[in-house]
Amino acid sequence: MTSVSTELVSSKAVEAEKEAKARFWRRVPGYVVAYIVLGLGAVISLFPYFLALVTSLKAPDQVFSSSSWSLPNPLTFQNYIDVVVKYNFLSFIWHSLLYAGLLTIGQLIFSTLAAYAFARMEFPGREQIFMLYLATLMVPAIVTLIPLFIILRTFGLVNTWFGLVLPYVLGTPFGIFLMRQFFLTIPKDLENAARIDGASTMQIMFQVILPLSRPIMATLAIITFVQAWNTFLWPLIITDSTSLRVLTVGIAAFQSNFGTQWNLMMAATFIALGPLLLLFFLFQKHIVRSIHMSGFK
Amino acid sequence: MQGQDTLGIDQSPVSRVKERYRLQPSTKLSLQAYAFLLPSFLGLLVFSLIPIIAVAVISFFSWSLIGQPTFVGLKNYATMFSSSSFWHSLLLTFYYVLLNIPMQTVFALLLALLLNQKIPGRGIFRTIFVVPWMATAVAMGIVWQWIFDPQYGTLNTFLGVLHITGPAWLSSPGWALPAIAAVNIWQYTGYNMLFFLAGLQGIPPDFYEATSLDGATPIQQFFTITLPLLSPTMFFVLVTDVIGSAQVFDTVYAMTKGGPGDATSVLNFNIFRQAFEFFHAGYASALSMVLFAILLIITLLQVLFFRSRAIYDLS
Repeated sequence: MTSVSTELVSSKAVEAEKEAKARFWRRVPGYVVAYIVLGLGAVISLFPYFLALVTSLKAPDQVFSSSSWSLPNPLTFQNYIDVVVKYNFLSFIWHSLLYAGLLTIGQLIFSTLAAYAFARMEFPGREQIFMLYLATLMVPAIVTLIPLFIILRTFGLVNTWFGLVLPYVLGTPFGIFLMRQFFLTIPKDLENAARIDGASTMQIMFQVILPLSRPIMATLAIITFVQAWNTFLWPLIITDSTSLRVLTVGIAAFQSNFGTQWNLMMAATFIALGPLLLLFFLFQKHIVRSIHMSGFK
Repeated sequence: MQGQDTLGIDQSPVSRVKERYRLQPSTKLSLQAYAFLLPSFLGLLVFSLIPIIAVAVISFFSWSLIGQPTFVGLKNYATMFSSSSFWHSLLLTFYYVLLNIPMQTVFALLLALLLNQKIPGRGIFRTIFVVPWMATAVAMGIVWQWIFDPQYGTLNTFLGVLHITGPAWLSSPGWALPAIAAVNIWQYTGYNMLFFLAGLQGIPPDFYEATSLDGATPIQQFFTITLPLLSPTMFFVLVTDVIGSAQVFDTVYAMTKGGPGDATSVLNFNIFRQAFEFFHAGYASALSMVLFAILLIITLLQVLFFRSRAIYDLS
């Protein structure tokens, strides 16, 4: 009895295995095509980074004597040393870090406060004010650029840190929207319980809400930092001295002077691209999530 | 969401009545809410709302950014509509959007369909495809300039291996804008793929099973199930891509500075030069208003188009 049933089972298992194998082999051509397309996509996605890196490690005479994608031989860090030391990039890097850092801190503080008010507090005009924030998301950046410049010039803030940072440091509609959507998902009972215990709104913020919001705040911080790091047009317009120059503007200025010295140019660009690449692989989950959350309401 | 949640501790009717006649503690909470909002609202007002109104006002003035603006009525708009460089930059912008959108959307959808299969390693591919989205556009523009270099660049070297003589790309009036569009496609295909992937994962598998029992081929299924059910995603992707690519600036600045000649002088670049190189603040504001109006109209048309076609919720 038992032997018969095990035999039955095992023959069934063998058959299932055979079928799975057959199914696998039937899928192989599809897999091959899929991997060729995906592999090609991956190579194209990463190639410009690879090219910038290998070119930046080449001596000037190798740049034009061998194909552009060949590996550096000999390997040299001289381009980076030149760019950073001779051409002042250390200060540009510092300005970019400071700019992106300040915007990130401002975003975290002010967007969180505003988002909490929109998500959890009662006040007249709440929905209308929120709609006003959302409506400004639809206005292209270039539209406000000229008046923005004029306003800051009126206050004498052209070419100052205040002028550079002020328009974006008080929180953005996107940041507020992102945080508000998250706050709405936190159960109200948690806050009510704290309120019964006599906690003030501030205490609730710091002891109940913020500890629960760490992942979303990390997401917002990364996205704000990356966007600020990449910003070009605003710093280009509002600053005109090297004492305030951020990396993006520094690279563009460097390009007009050293446009065909590709080894130097690629070192300069990789200084901007490299850190974000690292950031991406460290925080890819947060970054992918932030993309999803910025897209769907 | 409404009402007394923040204070909703008391349950008895008596205390509720009492509460109504007490000095409202919610007034204090409202003030607190306004205090929370104040910094960001000041920012919105001064750096966003006022500029939006101001740009419309400035567009009726002639102003070199220095000295007194003079009211000129509709003259900026009249100049604009009779200026060939305006029409040229407008056409270039449309052309650029057209170069971008179809390819970017098709590639993104194709990659999403592939990654929606349960194949090993799809997580790694997904990650890699999103990397370009983070790239600093100015820096990446310069890297692509190196790729497009007519003599030593990767692309023409590669084409040379295939015995094709590549064009001069960025210094050729016909190829410069398509080359910039290629960079944009490179940067945003993976980003759009993520949205399509999320959209595909939201389609119930039963739909496919039911129709494949009826003998539908995968291609039929794609057109009768996948594409209609993806229309909300498609809508989002198309709207954001049209708006985004119509505002291209960083890559143009880094790669061609509007050249050769004015072959890549798209509207956004034109606005920048008018305002901050030639100091025609009024004229540049009028250009900005036109760009804004066009984007608004395109978005509305897209909404109407998808309303009429989509059976599914567009939220």
